[in-house]
Amino acid sequence: MAASDAEPMPEVVTEAIVVIDLVESTLTSNLFGWYAVGRQSLRDLRSLIGEVGKVCGLRCVRSTGDGYLLTFYDPQSAEMAAIRAVEAVFELLRRIFVRNQEVSEERALNLRCAVHLGEVDVVPNDREGPHISMAFRLEAISRASLPAALNPIPPEQFPLQNYVLCSEEVAGILSRRATQWELASIGLLKLKGFPGWREVFRVLPEKHATDLAATARVS
Amino acid sequence: MEVPDPLRKSLGLVFCDIVGSTRLVARVGDLVAAAVIREFIDHADRLSRQHHSLMIKFSGDTFLAAFENMNDVMPFIVSIEGLLTPNSALERLEGFRFSLHYGNVLYMDTSYGNDVLGEDVTVAAHLSEVAHPNELVISQAALERMPADYQFRAGASEVRPLKRVGDVEFRRVKLLEENRRLFKLIQSFSRP
Repeated sequence: MAASDAEPMPEVVTEAIVVIDLVESTLTSNLFGWYAVGRQSLRDLRSLIGEVGKVCGLRCVRSTGDGYLLTFYDPQSAEMAAIRAVEAVFELLRRIFVRNQEVSEERALNLRCAVHLGEVDVVPNDREGPHISMAFRLEAISRASLPAALNPIPPEQFPLQNYVLCSEEVAGILSRRATQWELASIGLLKLKGFPGWREVFRVLPEKHATDLAATARVS
Repeated sequence: MEVPDPLRKSLGLVFCDIVGSTRLVARVGDLVAAAVIREFIDHADRLSRQHHSLMIKFSGDTFLAAFENMNDVMPFIVSIEGLLTPNSALERLEGFRFSLHYGNVLYMDTSYGNDVLGEDVTVAAHLSEVAHPNELVISQAALERMPADYQFRAGASEVRPLKRVGDVEFRRVKLLEENRRLFKLIQSFSRP
């Protein structure tokens, strides 16, 4: 009997999935040392995620090595979980922006964030399923992805860090149920392992009042 | 260097998608699959120039080609389908899915080369998802501009709602052996 046969079927829930990646964290650790800089940066990020997430329905925090996989849950409405997740991500970026003003350049945190919504298998301290893969595919989109996209924005307009991307599903929810953000299509992309073309959106704070991507330093 | 202004152009937009590229990687490994796809790209690029395409853009196992003259489109599609002939380097491929749409797009020079932008590009892309293997899906807008021969060969009219676009009318054309024979005939005449 295979080991998996004995395990109970995992709980399946609809959650907002957030993938956060620390920009150039490996380079920073190699350059300035894991014990001197890298470890503390990751701990600071985890701590900020905890502070921001506890009021937004954060259910799972899983390290991905140089970032985190987060999921958000709302018992009343799955769609609200997506809105809470986007709120949490922007609050996280805001706090990081403030923190970066106070620390030395090598300790600055810069993030790439992606938000998706879908059914996931709940496993202890982790989540599984194709929607998790989708969130990671979204996070992996960069300037270099745009020449292969359809109707792309000019690659030069795509920020290098401190931005939030979302899937069509999340963009639909935000456009129906939230007014505090603007959505800008970055193009239709083919995401590895997923059929068809997917429109991907950048979420911007309303009127770009605090465009954290524009103000941050490129390391 | 001065970048030319974007131009509004009415163009035929062809999408081609390799059928079963993920299965190909699983079957022969990523190195061989990458070599096959590279070869496909080389051939498609060459054929697009041969058939007077305005631009061609590759995205993984897909390409988008734009044509100013609709008479160039079907010979181009048939020539791509002809790449699948037995004993060719591309015989490992399971087939292609094509879509064809005609629309008004913005043709522009970008930092990565020429590109076409607009809602009609989205229509053509989503139509390619409707096509079956070795089939061409033609929007009504494109069909009306095709040579009469192909209008007769198109199947029954179908309508499908496409994401963020609405209902789009289209027809299907089977790219049968007949097309491959036609391609071989053309090739035999064009050989020195």
